[in-house]
Amino acid sequence: MDPVLYGYMLYGISLLTVGGMYAILTLGLNVQWGFTGLFNAGIAGFFGIGAYTAAILTTSPHTSHVGGFQMPYVVAAIAAMLVAGIIAFLVGKVCLKLRSDYLAIATIGIAEIFRLIVNNETWATNGPRGISQIPRPFEGLPEPLNQFAFLGVVLVTLAGVYWLMEIARKSPWGRVMTAIRDNETSAKAAGKNVETFRMEGFVIGCMIMALAGALMAHYLKFVNPQTTDPLLATFIVFVMLVIGGSANNKGAILGAFLVWTLWSASEIVAPRLLEAIGMADAGIRSAYVRIFLIGLLLQIFLQKNPQGLLPETRPSSPGKNEP
Amino acid sequence: MKLVKQLAVTACAAAMFATAAHADSIKVGSAGGVTGPIAELVATIVKGRDLARDQINAEGGLLKGDKLEMVIGDSACDPKAAVDAVGKLVNVEQVVGIVGPSCSGATNASVQAVTIPAGVAVLSDSATAPSVTELKDNDTVFRVAPSDAYQGLAIAQLVNKAGIKKVAMTYSNDDYNAGIAKVFEEEFKKMGGEVTANQAHEPNKASYRSELQTLTAGGPEAIAIFAYYGSSGITIIKNSLENGLFGKFFAADGMFDQSVIDQIGADNLKGNIQITQASSDTADASYQAFAEAFKATGADPAAPYAAHGYDATFMMALAIEKAGAADRAKIKDALRAISDGKGEVVRPGEWAKAKKLIADGKDINYEGASGSADFDENGDVSGVFAVNVVGDDGKWAKELLK
Repeated sequence: MDPVLYGYMLYGISLLTVGGMYAILTLGLNVQWGFTGLFNAGIAGFFGIGAYTAAILTTSPHTSHVGGFQMPYVVAAIAAMLVAGIIAFLVGKVCLKLRSDYLAIATIGIAEIFRLIVNNETWATNGPRGISQIPRPFEGLPEPLNQFAFLGVVLVTLAGVYWLMEIARKSPWGRVMTAIRDNETSAKAAGKNVETFRMEGFVIGCMIMALAGALMAHYLKFVNPQTTDPLLATFIVFVMLVIGGSANNKGAILGAFLVWTLWSASEIVAPRLLEAIGMADAGIRSAYVRIFLIGLLLQIFLQKNPQGLLPETRPSSPGKNEP
Repeated sequence: MKLVKQLAVTACAAAMFATAAHADSIKVGSAGGVTGPIAELVATIVKGRDLARDQINAEGGLLKGDKLEMVIGDSACDPKAAVDAVGKLVNVEQVVGIVGPSCSGATNASVQAVTIPAGVAVLSDSATAPSVTELKDNDTVFRVAPSDAYQGLAIAQLVNKAGIKKVAMTYSNDDYNAGIAKVFEEEFKKMGGEVTANQAHEPNKASYRSELQTLTAGGPEAIAIFAYYGSSGITIIKNSLENGLFGKFFAADGMFDQSVIDQIGADNLKGNIQITQASSDTADASYQAFAEAFKATGADPAAPYAAHGYDATFMMALAIEKAGAADRAKIKDALRAISDGKGEVVRPGEWAKAKKLIADGKDINYEGASGSADFDENGDVSGVFAVNVVGDDGKWAKELLK
């Protein structure tokens, strides 16, 4: 195959792989923000819990961090979700009584606490140096088969999460969630235990985020505290969900792929645009111009489509067709 | 949606246009944390890389007059961003080799996830984490910045030479300082010394008295500090002196700054502090050749890792020339050949000379601005270190460690 074409193919695979992991992350947020209306601004924290749990459970023994368990990927992924679920439950016990913006502040704090713990508990996480040499599923296969195979793992996981979330959305459980989001008092008046439902939404969302984190750890083959930097682990996920369409699972996935492609491909385009208009130091400046352009584009887009690309559609309720 | 489509079309058009316009150039990736926490440092490092590129292109370019083109990739000091940026350099820009990325974490992730499987040579100019050495890299990962392991060793040797047997140590809990501290501890123990206490500290606290009090247990004769001067180092020395806890200090290069002397007082520090620093041998002909050219562009040759950025780029170009083709596999093998300590010496700026030597089939040995830049079996260099002490004029006096 022509090397240029081959390169574009590999880049395409990486866009889909990373986009797929972000899509899982966005589906997790959609449960919380889209359906239940919980403002979780600590996505990076639960993403990081998943990444670190998977890293510690699957790596070979190393003097710099705990581990050497060399567990199968599936076991590590399930453990990552369980750990995140337990932590989310404890956090939820304390924080979920808070209303939207207060919950956001509390969850930012949780993510920051997590970052400080992995930064300081050097015996377990190798601190700022990070955990290296994390294995990746199918990496033994020859290129590009290994890339296709890992992409397959990500897309199958994404499909599974999407399928479950669609079932949840259409079920009575999903309808209670949107009811709580839209009018908590009337949900309560209808006899629904709002606290329990909110907790369920929060824990499930965080577990899905941890799953995305576990996949990311295998993909990067390395994690350090900077991996949980909020720009590319919290804020971009909100952008993906809002652009794609909050409370719409298809929208969450579409938004994730679209925004990630835009974010990544803009680095190819921006320096060429600057060079074309004859700016000096185009390479360095374009890194900043790119961030500015993306921000501008998002502004314009959201002004025109406040509902996102795919607005929410409510599942039809049993009594709807009666006169 | 329309807007997105338009953008996609523009992107494709721009990409095609660019490949067509630069058909006679050879691309090398210039990866670094252009945005992110060390953006300031990276700007100067990139200037160092660009100086090498300009000199090479002015003196005949690569191979048959092809231009060397450095393509920037923003690794943002974040492993996620780095894997994406380096992936684009390798797959979309089709670079033949990569200089950078700058942060250790970004380097670690991007070489494991992208360049080692792709077989592309990476020559980092500022990743210093010892963990990069351990990677199974098929001999594709090199660096001209010495691993922190070597600075930790340099400090251990200094402490040992001063006749001190028992030492306490504290480090600021960040990537860089923690790495040096760890190696120091191992090396000093190997020399038969005793580390009486070792404690991490969080930067930017108003006082470190309680930490220092704990560190005095066990009767240490001196304290080794691995920290940045602004965020904790100066406070630690002040607290130590005010309370009579420690009088002798050893420190790594994060502590090197004139403000340390200015704020604590030359009299208090004279004869009592030694700071190591990854250095350049400023008397060396190679360094001077680089410094003169770099100053002419208006940049500071003493800026951290600028000389390394220059060397890495120059060496990547030499490897392309030596390989005789823009071929990734050949370039990775050639990197060792151009700087193995054997052959005719080539210094910064001597591109025309190097080109001729290679054309004549002679061996060359690049002696860089940052040091001899000879790779060991792991693709690391041992680097050049200096020790700074307080001089008679109340300024730092530097002496090379050899």
